Amino acid sequence: MTATQTATVLPAPASTPRRNFWRGVVRVLRRKPSRMAGVVILVLFAFLGVFGPMLYPSPLPRDDNALYAPPSLAHPFGTDFEGTDVLALVVTGTRYVLLAGLATAVITVALGTAIGLLAGFHRGRWDTVLMRLTDLQLTIPGLPLLLVLSTVWKFTSPLEMGVVLGVLGWGGIARAVRSQTLSLRERGFIEAARGLGLSTRHIVGRELLPSMAPYIAMNMLIAVTGAIYAQVGLFFLGVLPFDANNWGVMLNLAVFGGGALTSAAALPYLLAPLLAILLLTLGIVLVVDAMDEIFNPRLREE
Amino acid sequence: MRRLAVITALAVIATATACRGVGDSGDLGVYTTVDGAKQIDATAPINPFNPQGNTFLGYDAMSLAWPKNDPVDPNRFYPGLAASWTVTPDQGEVVVHLQPKARWSDGKPVTSEDVRTSIGLAYTQGGTAYAVDPKAAGAAADVKVVDAKTIKVTQGANKSNTFLRNVLSTVIVPAHVFGGLLPANFWNTLAAARGTGTAAEQAKAQITGLAQKVISFAPREDVSAGPFVLKRVNPGEALLVRNKYFYAPENIAPDRVKVLNYTGNQQIWNYLISGTLDSAPFTAVPSAVLKRIRQTQGNEVLKGFSPVAVSLAFNQSQKPYDNVHVRRALAYLIDRAQVTRVASPEAGIPAQTTTGIHETSAKSWLGDGITDLDAYRVDPAKAVQELEAAGMTRQGGRWAMPDGAPWKVEIHVPASFSDWVAAAKSITSQLNDHGIDATVITAADYPLYLDELAAGKYGIGFWLMALGPSPYNIYQRVFGPANGWQMLAGQLTHAAPGTQGNWMGSPETVDGVNPGVLTGELNVAGPDRQREIVGTLAKVTNRDLPIIQLYDYVNTQFVNSNRYTGWPATDSDVLRLSAGVWMQLGMIKKKVDR
Repeated sequence: MTATQTATVLPAPASTPRRNFWRGVVRVLRRKPSRMAGVVILVLFAFLGVFGPMLYPSPLPRDDNALYAPPSLAHPFGTDFEGTDVLALVVTGTRYVLLAGLATAVITVALGTAIGLLAGFHRGRWDTVLMRLTDLQLTIPGLPLLLVLSTVWKFTSPLEMGVVLGVLGWGGIARAVRSQTLSLRERGFIEAARGLGLSTRHIVGRELLPSMAPYIAMNMLIAVTGAIYAQVGLFFLGVLPFDANNWGVMLNLAVFGGGALTSAAALPYLLAPLLAILLLTLGIVLVVDAMDEIFNPRLREE
Repeated sequence: MRRLAVITALAVIATATACRGVGDSGDLGVYTTVDGAKQIDATAPINPFNPQGNTFLGYDAMSLAWPKNDPVDPNRFYPGLAASWTVTPDQGEVVVHLQPKARWSDGKPVTSEDVRTSIGLAYTQGGTAYAVDPKAAGAAADVKVVDAKTIKVTQGANKSNTFLRNVLSTVIVPAHVFGGLLPANFWNTLAAARGTGTAAEQAKAQITGLAQKVISFAPREDVSAGPFVLKRVNPGEALLVRNKYFYAPENIAPDRVKVLNYTGNQQIWNYLISGTLDSAPFTAVPSAVLKRIRQTQGNEVLKGFSPVAVSLAFNQSQKPYDNVHVRRALAYLIDRAQVTRVASPEAGIPAQTTTGIHETSAKSWLGDGITDLDAYRVDPAKAVQELEAAGMTRQGGRWAMPDGAPWKVEIHVPASFSDWVAAAKSITSQLNDHGIDATVITAADYPLYLDELAAGKYGIGFWLMALGPSPYNIYQRVFGPANGWQMLAGQLTHAAPGTQGNWMGSPETVDGVNPGVLTGELNVAGPDRQREIVGTLAKVTNRDLPIIQLYDYVNTQFVNSNRYTGWPATDSDVLRLSAGVWMQLGMIKKKVDR
């Protein structure tokens, strides 16, 4: 009987679970149109990040006679202080924002996960040392430190920006991953892995990590939004180098140079990067909603 | 229930009181303004020597006289605590006669002893007429009380033609409040400090050691000789009430003055749009905001001469900016009118050319001579000639260094100066249009910017200049300490480029002219010689271009005629003085129909 059962199971193609997974993903996305919208938004921004600068000539054309021009067909979000199309600035500025956001997210998640896993799994001295380090990191006031750093570091590359934001942001994830690890390490499958004499590397890498992958992936996306706010905020404060198509710089110039909060002339110049940030955040939140259901069996409706 | 009623009544009263705070413009007899020089720090002492001090020039802080906003002559004044003064032709001796009726707000008369004490306190802060070093140009050598209302101040051997201005600009404080800060033997110590040797050095150290004590001194209450006296200050505003002992009470229309705090220009714009302010000093305003401010009933814009211009300054220690042809090429490529339109359309006028002087002053100093100078109108063909003369090469449509290395023009500006950022961006766009790879680099704040500029880290940076009206002050910005010429103990020395703060690094002589020496001479020269020197320096500046003058500032101020009238006219010589001085001069009147 057992042999018969095995015979009926074996012919199944090896790729079935993967295909089922992607089918499930599509099903979850289709269940709510908002999730599809989120995917479309992220794909759009990814497209703009990769191809955006290729869509416009470099340097961007200016119209000397249309400074702070109102929205029109030619300029859907008007023009900036020197007559450059605001939409073009937002599009060409997407790459820096996304790269810095992704770099931040990768570093945040990599550091936070590694430290959390090690601390939670080994406990004892490892836990004590790594968690004190985490406490220390959490007590560092990020914004003041960044303000001080900006006086000596120009952050000309998005990766530099991402490294700094990532190094300043891993503490929360480390704590959360440690908690998850402490819980999972007491479960039966980990006990079984230990009983089988599997190596720590195997247990952490093959047993623990995949269990937490959905949680980590969602944190990564959320870290992207945090990184976008942080970097745009720093550029808005004017403490980072000028780049006309940086969204934070655009906000700064619209408010302090154009008086966008006081008069309507520079309002489109202010709104365009704000809408871009809003849209990107919305896209991420909607996709995180879908991921939650994909990875959390309790939320699945079938 | 009764308790609830009481609480409700208290809440209503508290709300009503709060609503009468900042921005209440309906209060008759109150004059509302902002202080253009500083934001309010409620914890700062009531002390004019403290940079954050809660005293307000023209209202409760008084100087001997108020300088007129003259484009050329720095020695024209309106009376302040000094009713009149006499000065010898070489400015060697200034005799000041105080207002006979001047009294402090506690009823005590303002006397020569107050002036002497104020001068003593000014020595502890150093600079201008009150440098301890007797060899310093324009330092006072002797302060003598002639009688209760007359005092004589004598200039040292190393004379300066700004001595009168510096003496009359002395802020006077009451000796019976501030006098205790000076040791009993202060004047003997000062005399000893003017000597030489160890004793003199010790005496100097004693005097400069008093600086912090003077700055941090916090009187319990304001004692003012001005038209107002500070009643209270909180983080939102300072309230000043009339000084009943002011010497010309008939000139003062408001009963109280509210000086509102602000955290940035946006807040001043909002005050103006809401019609809260009766007047506001110079404030940078975008065109759209200015239009919005004008729409508010009663608001008017006053414009006048402002002895300030902005330029692009070169660090000639860095290549290729050591080559005059490169500097000229850039001058031929920058459309100053467009830069001004982008950066400061309301508070700037494009520089006619580079002279080192504000255009309004240049007309007076140079007359028709200005037409002999190269106007550096936009001329790409000439720019190409100049770049080729400098040996620059062209590779793939982009200009490169003579050795073929990429030429990256980095223009540095402080991020907090939005008009400079916009101007720098406009310039880089124009340069990129002509094949020069140019970018804007911002510094986090102005002090950091100045530090890095002085350290020679920038090849090109924005630089304030033409700080007149004194021609010496004007050209000091181009051929002064930033360019290697330093006046130390009466001796002019020239530091090598890249040392002792010489970040501009111009050659010491240009076509046989030493511009630093000529600038130093402006400090002592008579009017005719000054005119001759200014003519020479304008030519040197125009030809050698250590800076490219971009736009000259226009003093843009705001007044509201809903409550008060009698505002100064456009281009009035009081426009750079505070509204408190306007009141002292009897200009501001309450509007009759209220």
